[in-house]
Amino acid sequence: MLAQQRKRMAFWLILPTLLLIVAFKIAPIIEGVVVSFQAQSMMRPNPDAFVGWTHYKRAIFEEGVFGAALWRTIVWTFGSVAGAYFVGLSIALLLNREFAGRTLFRALFLIPWVIPEVATALLWKWAYGDEFGVINFLLMRLGVLETPILFLSSPGAAMASVIVVQIWKLYPIMFITLLAALQSVPRELHESAEIDGATVWQRFVYVTFPYIRPTSVIITLLAAIWTFQNFDIIYLLTGGGPADATKILPTLVYEKGFWGLELGYASAISLLMLLCLTVLSVAYLFVYRAQREET
Amino acid sequence: MTDTALNPGGAPRSEAAMNAWRSREFLMRLGLYLFLSALTIVVLFPILWMASSSFKPQSELFARDMTLLPVDWTLASYVAVWQGTSFPSYFFNSFKIAVASTALSVIVGMYAAYAIARIKFRGRYAFGMLLLIAQMFPQIMLVIPLFIVVQKAGLLNTHIALIVCYAAFALPFTVWMMRGFFETIPEELEDAAAVDGAGILKTFHKIILPLAGPGLAAVTIFAFIRSWNEFLFALVFLQSRTMFTMPIGLASFQEEYTFRWDLIMAGAGIITLPILFFFLLMQKFIVAGLLGGAVKG
Repeated sequence: MLAQQRKRMAFWLILPTLLLIVAFKIAPIIEGVVVSFQAQSMMRPNPDAFVGWTHYKRAIFEEGVFGAALWRTIVWTFGSVAGAYFVGLSIALLLNREFAGRTLFRALFLIPWVIPEVATALLWKWAYGDEFGVINFLLMRLGVLETPILFLSSPGAAMASVIVVQIWKLYPIMFITLLAALQSVPRELHESAEIDGATVWQRFVYVTFPYIRPTSVIITLLAAIWTFQNFDIIYLLTGGGPADATKILPTLVYEKGFWGLELGYASAISLLMLLCLTVLSVAYLFVYRAQREET
Repeated sequence: MTDTALNPGGAPRSEAAMNAWRSREFLMRLGLYLFLSALTIVVLFPILWMASSSFKPQSELFARDMTLLPVDWTLASYVAVWQGTSFPSYFFNSFKIAVASTALSVIVGMYAAYAIARIKFRGRYAFGMLLLIAQMFPQIMLVIPLFIVVQKAGLLNTHIALIVCYAAFALPFTVWMMRGFFETIPEELEDAAAVDGAGILKTFHKIILPLAGPGLAAVTIFAFIRSWNEFLFALVFLQSRTMFTMPIGLASFQEEYTFRWDLIMAGAGIITLPILFFFLLMQKFIVAGLLGGAVKG
């Protein structure tokens, strides 16, 4: 009787949340699918006209914009996640010991994570400048460079430059989750490995890493999903340029939808993007499982 | 001679070895601190440089010889951005939207979180999964249909559209995290209240909520930061300058005030400061919430 009442109550408690989620996250996906088969161009009449697979064919074959942007998105995601994992893990290993001031350092290393994207992009843009940028200034003072690098405005350097910014934004979340995982590694195991004469590297590979592997898989996957669909950093730093060098899928979608005013076309590209993201995520988990069963 | 190498990790036995061990330990500590401090400075350098730049007079910003710290410290950039541009209006728009959407998502979300933490109803698992899956859809994909809907509803260029959107987008995380916090509260407390005849809502309001204070605070800060920082939806939904939030207002400075990096850096400082303050104040709760809510899931 009481249990029955509680269950009915649960329905009312979750209802507002459910409504908001369905209205703003689930319904738009369905609407997005519908829109991707409609003309939906702000420059033409009758936006709701059905156009079939036109947008999809155009993105993949006729304009061929999709493949190139997908490849750039993969480079951007892989570079950012790998870099952030490396930095995050290094800091986590450094902080994985007892010492006074540990909490302070932990907080300091987390700071880039809370800096607003717009501030992140603008402060890096300022630091990356060619004439008045501090990075070029320091490199030239130290004699590393003779002429300034055009970090954001040369097609060769732009992708690497935006990846560095994303690494900076992403490593804190890696480091904090890995630090938590590292605390589950039994101390005695380390000590006995040390007595057995294992080197630092061997201890990491055979003792530590197996314990943080599941967390590593999850956090790199999450970070990859976030990075794959990240719009702000690249839009604010380069707008996808120069010469499309950093035009990843989210910037392409925005450009087609809100500069080109072709919402149907943009929606089709965004769905292709979601499809690729899903396939890549599933493949990643699949490879992880296959590998785990092998060992 | 007892050597520390023969007895790793354990306490050395002789006096001399003890001293050697102590000084080795001390040197390692010192090295660690020096290295960590250097690393912190390198990692945080872009932020330090932003702060330093925002306190420099304009002439120093574009000087041939840069100095790490301002030679003449000045608040001129902050005064200029606050008095000479629309920045204050961006600031208050952002503040208003962040407060309203945070309140909405926390109030709506805490009941749902309580329900999935404590009541074993049918569809509880499905509801949890729905929240998780909802987190995975790219913003850039959702913004197109939402733009069409908002346009049809005549709500483009209004704050209400953003408030509700931000609340909805913060909800999955809010609910997941609060569920974690509620689950740490012993269930016996509620059973005792139930015996006294208090209903679910009364138990929740009188017993659980007061105990969930820190968790609630962490969730509130998360939702606030999210809304405060949000860029894409504001960029798409807002059209007139008077309605702009800080992120898009600041981004628009790049075209409006080209080469006025003094204004841009001061603006970036203003947008960052409240967030940084909250974060450093609450970092223990935030880290706990992050690890409890986001990772264990």
